[in-house]
Amino acid sequence: MTQKTQANISLGDPTYLKLQGFLQEEAYLLDQGAFREWLNLLDPEVRYVMPIRTTRERVHGSGLVDQMVFFDENYASLKKRIDRLDTEYAWGEDPPSRTRRFIDNIRIKQLDERTYEVRSYFLVLRSRGNVPDYQILSGQKVDTIVVYDDGCKLKHRLIYPDQATLGVENLGIFI
Amino acid sequence: MTVQDVRGKEFRLSDGTRLQDLLDVENGYISARIVSDPELYELEMKKIFARVWVPIAHVSEIPNKGDYVLRYIGDEEVIVARSEHNTIHVVLNACTHRGMPVCRSERGNSSHFRCPYHGFTYRQDGQLIGVPAHKEAFGEALDKELYHLVQAKVAIVYGLIFATFNDNPPPIDEYLGTMKWYLQMMLQHTPEGMEVIGVPQRWVVKSNWKLGGDNFVGDAYHTFMTHYSAVQLRIVPSGDPKFAYYGVHVSHDNGHGLGLIGAPPEVELPRFYGVPEDIAKKIEATLPPGQQKAFERLAYIHGTIFPNMSFGYFSWATEDGKAPGSYLTLRQWVPRGPYEMEVFTWVLAEKEASDAWKHLARETFVRTFGASGMLEQDDAEMWSNITRATKGFIAREKLNFIYRMGINRKPEQGDWPGPGTVYQGDYSEQNQLNIWRAWARLISE
Repeated sequence: MTQKTQANISLGDPTYLKLQGFLQEEAYLLDQGAFREWLNLLDPEVRYVMPIRTTRERVHGSGLVDQMVFFDENYASLKKRIDRLDTEYAWGEDPPSRTRRFIDNIRIKQLDERTYEVRSYFLVLRSRGNVPDYQILSGQKVDTIVVYDDGCKLKHRLIYPDQATLGVENLGIFI
Repeated sequence: MTVQDVRGKEFRLSDGTRLQDLLDVENGYISARIVSDPELYELEMKKIFARVWVPIAHVSEIPNKGDYVLRYIGDEEVIVARSEHNTIHVVLNACTHRGMPVCRSERGNSSHFRCPYHGFTYRQDGQLIGVPAHKEAFGEALDKELYHLVQAKVAIVYGLIFATFNDNPPPIDEYLGTMKWYLQMMLQHTPEGMEVIGVPQRWVVKSNWKLGGDNFVGDAYHTFMTHYSAVQLRIVPSGDPKFAYYGVHVSHDNGHGLGLIGAPPEVELPRFYGVPEDIAKKIEATLPPGQQKAFERLAYIHGTIFPNMSFGYFSWATEDGKAPGSYLTLRQWVPRGPYEMEVFTWVLAEKEASDAWKHLARETFVRTFGASGMLEQDDAEMWSNITRATKGFIAREKLNFIYRMGINRKPEQGDWPGPGTVYQGDYSEQNQLNIWRAWARLISE
């Protein structure tokens, strides 16, 4: 991911609020199961990737590995996943999970005139069936978002999970 | 064949139940208790995982001297390391002094492992080489030469690393038997063989560990229901709901088995899973004729190396209008108690292949199998729900799973060039019964 030296856009700046609103809208649509509306928020050239976390010593840094990933998607494959949910045979999400996505600690840098790097923390609670225990995912997203006059589009997303062994039985949900 | 026939003696659980009353392999019934009883889980750790060869890693994961990864034999963590002499060693990750894990990074490169508790230090092969303040603390009471992390025996077959804590294991070739022919075909069809791309995905499914192996070894039949979404969306390129029928179902001694699926004669399949021309030439020059003939026209292989390493060699289309991608996946179902397993899953491609081919393999794998895979998602849903539904007393007492598919069918070699007990048509439960037979033999011994 490009690391520009610019300062973060401060909390309360109109651009900050616009991008925060975008992430909240996205989380809302996904929690509602409005996947096709969510697809409208993605750039046709979107890349959607979830690297793997490994447990390493402190000296080796974050332990993130990108040679192998949990998601390796573009617009067509995300659409395929959404089409699948509509087949009546997507058993892993039918009956669907109840999900609640929380977005926080948003930090934004401008990359060029219209493009921003948006880093955020996520917490996803997933409830399935009548099991009272939640499946939980937490981590950081590093997004590249383009701001147009009529709205924003997600161009690139990297999802960094905190868990080295995921505590969800599948990733049948989007993050 | 009953368990008693196999052993000539009865084995009883603590409540007096005879093991042979839980498995009627001859008539194809298996009690639900077998996938849900904590007592059987403890027996599995002792009588299966402590005794048989368990595949745990691939040589390409530790290519350099000093490389290591952490893995599991049964539910116990082991270090798989490559020494300064380029030999591969597997040891229990627990210090000889008090049992503290001496390695707490799941992969890396190190000349030694040092226990964080008292500083006992071990070479990559597990030999104790350092004790802090040795003279003041132990003096002559401790001779380093005598101590070694608990050591497993190691065998490497076509790059796959097997290990066992059994001091007298069967020779690995005898243990794998005719399965070895197929491992060569999948893992060593080019001179340099397959390599793991990156690291395994790891996640937890609330399923008994045996359900993964039972599925992969022989359950071609579940595909048209569990994975019907993949048919509808043409992830299965032919769009044929019975795509997994057109092949052979092959059992081997000691519980190993696999299914190899091509397509009806009128359906075109790319040669050798559609590998690029340079790789196809290497396959022609490397694989013996029998394996070459078998490998030439396949689209799906599924199987299990007993006890808990399964594999898939698959071809799927994940985007409309884009050619299918192919890959080999290994997956280990690591037991974590009777009701939970950790899935390790690797994707592999030919080491000599171009980056483009490897990228396509990875992309196709991640979208179809693994935690987010459009097929695998639904498998996890089945297995966790089966485990939930069968752990109760009534299911254990009264529910017998039906394993009668293909029970009256005789082995038939046809023109299949490979060894093993071959059945025509992959809708069968012979491989599953073959696993349960091996399982019961070990439990009752």
